[in-house]
Amino acid sequence: MTSFFKRVIVYSTLLLLSLGPVALFTGNANASGQKPYQTPYQTTRKNAGTPNSSIVKKDKNGMVITYGNSAILYKAPPSALDAIGEALFMQNCASCHGTKANGVPANGVSGAYPNLVGLGPATIDFWIDSGRMPATNPRAVEAPRRFARLTPSQALAVSAWVNSLDPSLPDIPTPNLTNANVADGAALFALNCAACHTIEGDGDALANSTFAPSLRDIPAYQVVEAIRTGPGNMPRFTGNLSDYQVRDIVKYVTTEIQHPNNPGGLGLGGLGPVAEGFVALLLGVGLLALIGFWVGERE
Amino acid sequence: MSIDVPNTKRARAQAKGPFGSVGKVLDELDDRLGVAKGGRTFMDKIFPDHWSFMLGEIALYSFVILLVTGVFLTLYYIPSQDLVTYHGTYLPLDGMRVTEAYASTVNMSFAVRAGLLMRQMHHWSCDIFVGAIVVHMARVFFTGAFRKPRELNWSIGLTLLTLAIINGFLGYSLPDDLISGTGIRIAYSIVLAIPLVGTYIGFWLFGGNFPGTMIIPRFFILHVLIVPGIMIALVGAHLFLLVRQKHTQFPGKGRTEKNVVGSPMFPVFMAKTTGFLFVIAGITALLGAFAQINPIWQFGPYEASRISYAVQPDLYMAFLDGALRIWPSWSFHSFGHTIPFEVTVPALILPGLIFGLCYMWPTLERLFTKDNELHNLLDRPINRPKRTAAGVSMGVFITVLFFASSTDVIANFFHVSLEEVLIAMRVLVIISPIIAYPITYRICKELQHTPGSGKRKTANVVTRSEDGEYIATSSPVYVDDAHHGLAAVEVPRFISAAPDEESETSGTRVVER
Repeated sequence: MTSFFKRVIVYSTLLLLSLGPVALFTGNANASGQKPYQTPYQTTRKNAGTPNSSIVKKDKNGMVITYGNSAILYKAPPSALDAIGEALFMQNCASCHGTKANGVPANGVSGAYPNLVGLGPATIDFWIDSGRMPATNPRAVEAPRRFARLTPSQALAVSAWVNSLDPSLPDIPTPNLTNANVADGAALFALNCAACHTIEGDGDALANSTFAPSLRDIPAYQVVEAIRTGPGNMPRFTGNLSDYQVRDIVKYVTTEIQHPNNPGGLGLGGLGPVAEGFVALLLGVGLLALIGFWVGERE
Repeated sequence: MSIDVPNTKRARAQAKGPFGSVGKVLDELDDRLGVAKGGRTFMDKIFPDHWSFMLGEIALYSFVILLVTGVFLTLYYIPSQDLVTYHGTYLPLDGMRVTEAYASTVNMSFAVRAGLLMRQMHHWSCDIFVGAIVVHMARVFFTGAFRKPRELNWSIGLTLLTLAIINGFLGYSLPDDLISGTGIRIAYSIVLAIPLVGTYIGFWLFGGNFPGTMIIPRFFILHVLIVPGIMIALVGAHLFLLVRQKHTQFPGKGRTEKNVVGSPMFPVFMAKTTGFLFVIAGITALLGAFAQINPIWQFGPYEASRISYAVQPDLYMAFLDGALRIWPSWSFHSFGHTIPFEVTVPALILPGLIFGLCYMWPTLERLFTKDNELHNLLDRPINRPKRTAAGVSMGVFITVLFFASSTDVIANFFHVSLEEVLIAMRVLVIISPIIAYPITYRICKELQHTPGSGKRKTANVVTRSEDGEYIATSSPVYVDDAHHGLAAVEVPRFISAAPDEESETSGTRVVER
């Protein structure tokens, strides 16, 4: 080993030791005294998504059965499912959320799990139906979307039982996309959604280990549920988006985002310049350099 | 003068000379313009056959494709930020108020025959152009081709790279879509971050505050006229110097500092390079036809109030974006002034240092090695371990910055925390070049002692004798080499043909410098 090589190792180690900690601790939000994100799931305010609709149908006790308009019809889960829902809740949810769905598990450890009472059926339905609940890792910052463990009708039953504890809104939506304006949806999407979910709807990593999920495989009613209830990090859009606007967004998401036309050829995963750069460097420059290698001498 | 030649077909052909009508036309041209001497130099220009000399051609021909497709695009593009209501074939934009620049780009993509193909070819070609320049530059660097007397051409090449990056950014901004508008916003912030005079320069460039109504027309004229004009002139100078100073070559049999061994421009190299042009154009066309790039209709028009997440610049700007992303948020506020070091350092000082070092490298190397000789023979990278290690170190540094521009995509793809990726990039950008240097140095040193390294590999031919004995013989180096078949070309009679020395490797010519 030459003395020069030794010198390089010594100097680089010294430089590394001096610069490493600087790189580690500068500009990091956690270093400036801010506490890292603690609560696993954000809870939503009771009666989020107050009906701004024309048709409200109530039963004889004054309970809302359906409300909504020609754009979105919200429907309370049938109370006949309460008993099945309770059984399912005890099997799948109670170990964390407690037998009263108030976020206090049986062992008495409270505060870590959200209180589900009064969140409205749409919230419960969204979390179960998108496979986020029951969570794989209850202590994780985020519950990622995955294959749903309960069927849609079981999710409906659980939301029926939780709703029966303290009837609240929003109810489970059914969007009617017949008269939707996809152009308005595109504009509203760019304004309200693209900042996290990206303009092509692919989702991306956000700060503090949270993620904006991809919108490529989401059924229409779940898009409405997410907009109206604001799951996880997502803001809850209530007053600023009418049912008609939400319907337009849903139309745009379920058509142009989920089934883009891609008139230019392969969509390259919607990753934009990252994928394009790799294709240009590997298929463009790389392939051409290989052809040059083939054409020229290889002495 | 009496005409005693019989008027037959053969006699007429003979009267035209051995090169027929073409030769006759050239002869006439030479009488008037004296093209023979220059033509002789041009046709006799010797190109070394090594494959690594083809890399620059990828860049050159991509530039040609850029010019051709770019002219097509200017026919349909309207450089204006005036607002119009879009009513076109793409329904999700119908009725939206957009700028004319955006509307014309969308219309060009959907309503003009081959418009989208041309747009996509232009964009792919641009990515290939810059990528090929960098690869070509790496070849020149690692083989020491930049040394005296070619320092000037190294600087011209670097200037071309800088201009290519700038013009790429300008062109990327022209559609005025959501993503490119965000890019202009970042560029505006970078201009503002110039200490003391940033605000003035920003207002001067944009004709007021961002976004204004002037930046698209200004970018347009820069993109289609001024920058390409300078680039064409510099490409001309680059190629002129290449012919004037003649090519470098790898050391080998019969190759000295005083000669060049390779194929002449006509006919060998001309055939090869024209074929390569078609291959490059073909692959660019295939990419343009089958791989979608920059779907601006999905992004929508730019509005200052809108933003999309996961926005990266094109690959040539990626290292700058990466530096911006991972630089810690330090800034200076005092004496009534703010100097945002988090922008000034990564976006202005860092590229200045990188490019400054590249411009200075030939001088620095001469200072350190005290080598003032002329060099026409190339180095093998392993024989210059320090330079190779420094180059790899810089390459690794730029590559880490390149990947740092997609921190969010990496975090999303591998489902790890964005902050962890960011911190990993900060550590990597410092550690990797430091580690890369001694490793490369060591590898070079070790390879120097490997017997037979750098020699052309020969095939072992195994034959079985009638007795069943197997005999392995080493084949000659040039077995089945296509260049064997090439005959020397006849030189037109109006050119005073000087007999060339045949090189020891058959089929190529040797020319004194």
